[in-house]
Amino acid sequence: MRYTTFNQNNVNTLGEPMFFGNPVNVARYDQQKHAIFEKLIEKQISFFWRPEEVDVTRDQVDFQKLTDPEKHIFISNLKYQTLLDSVQGRSPNIAFLPIVSLPELETWIETWSFFETIHSRSYTHILRNLFSDPSDIFEDIVANEEIKRRASDISRYYDDLIFATQLWQTQGEGTHTVNGEAHLINKRELKKKLFLCMNSVNALEAIRFYVSFACTFAFAERKLMEGNSKIIRLIARDENLHLTSTQHVLNLWAKGKDDPEMAEIAEECKDQAREIFMSAVQQEKEWADYLFQNGSMIGLNKQILCEYVEYIANQRMSAIGLDTPFTVKSNPLPWMNNYLNSDNVQVAPQESEISSYLVGQIDSSVSEDDFADFEL
Amino acid sequence: MDKPDDVFRIDVVDAQCVPAGTDKTLLESLEQHGIDVHYHCREGFCGACRTKLLAGNVRYTTDPLAYIDDDEILPCCCIPLTHLKVTVPR
Repeated sequence: MRYTTFNQNNVNTLGEPMFFGNPVNVARYDQQKHAIFEKLIEKQISFFWRPEEVDVTRDQVDFQKLTDPEKHIFISNLKYQTLLDSVQGRSPNIAFLPIVSLPELETWIETWSFFETIHSRSYTHILRNLFSDPSDIFEDIVANEEIKRRASDISRYYDDLIFATQLWQTQGEGTHTVNGEAHLINKRELKKKLFLCMNSVNALEAIRFYVSFACTFAFAERKLMEGNSKIIRLIARDENLHLTSTQHVLNLWAKGKDDPEMAEIAEECKDQAREIFMSAVQQEKEWADYLFQNGSMIGLNKQILCEYVEYIANQRMSAIGLDTPFTVKSNPLPWMNNYLNSDNVQVAPQESEISSYLVGQIDSSVSEDDFADFEL
Repeated sequence: MDKPDDVFRIDVVDAQCVPAGTDKTLLESLEQHGIDVHYHCREGFCGACRTKLLAGNVRYTTDPLAYIDDDEILPCCCIPLTHLKVTVPR
């Protein structure tokens, strides 16, 4: 079906599935098939921040004090996160927008992607402060084998879905031969690709950031690179919200609350979905190995980091109805919680001690108790 | 303040039984009594404190955005309405 930017048919979006229904026409948010996406948009917008608001100048002095293995850890993580947000800043838009059918979900995807571009901009902000010319760092992202291996696994499911959608939208269903290779295109195959892609994105948001988050916060525990840590806290808060959205999508499908065919596919492809998650866990452990190849840093080593990945993976796998394959029972890095608490995420110095100072948020709820001491 | 009928008994599986008032969130009550619960946002949008509710009822102080199953609650943004039996993420 050819994509149209404004579907002229009158479509009741309350009866549409999340994806592969009719293309969206009117961007209206007064009614929603799945109200959660409207709520996520509002929450995400209330989180708006700009990298320049965070002062990172002191990090330059701290960076000079780091040992060489620590510098390797710090810079490698920034490279990896730059890769992740480069992908996430564009891919949800390109892969999901051509096939989305609900206005609230369409806008959620756009809002989500936009925030990933803020994250990308913040890496430039951090690196420009540390180096007069950060080109070498950026250029290494497409040269470094460790990062490239992860990049191909992350982009693979997106690229598959995007290519199949392009064939479907230009040539319709059937078997199409492109450059001598035959591609079977039908709704079922497309939906399977969408399901696997959403699982891959979910795994990315769920665990791929957490090895570098842990390193950043371990530096901050030693009062080092605190500007960077403030930025990463803001990023972590956003990523938690993005993860919530992919968990909602996967669960709406699996529980038959959206497209019944997606519920069948969720059951049929459960092993593949699990495999996607498990290989992301494995790759993150390998990443920890690469980070610590020249030596550890105070407060963190490879083993404890791998245990943390397993711990967080257990939680995130159970959230989408998978098993919890790892034996780690308690949080190996309990101090991480403090950094991921959104009440501790504040930007400007004058706000840092006052948790009630929240830009753009108004608490308009009034309960009867508020009038308890009110007399006429 | 602490009227006796405002205090509920929270039975935490594999840990102890702790009292919880209605003047703070369930998460805060558990922490006050030395039970470490996994948390991130403390605002109901991340789901890190997702807890199985085996018995009882709660009310939310804010609309929970995180995905929770029918038998799950988010201690960071709820207050007990009755005695509870829960399994918390540690």
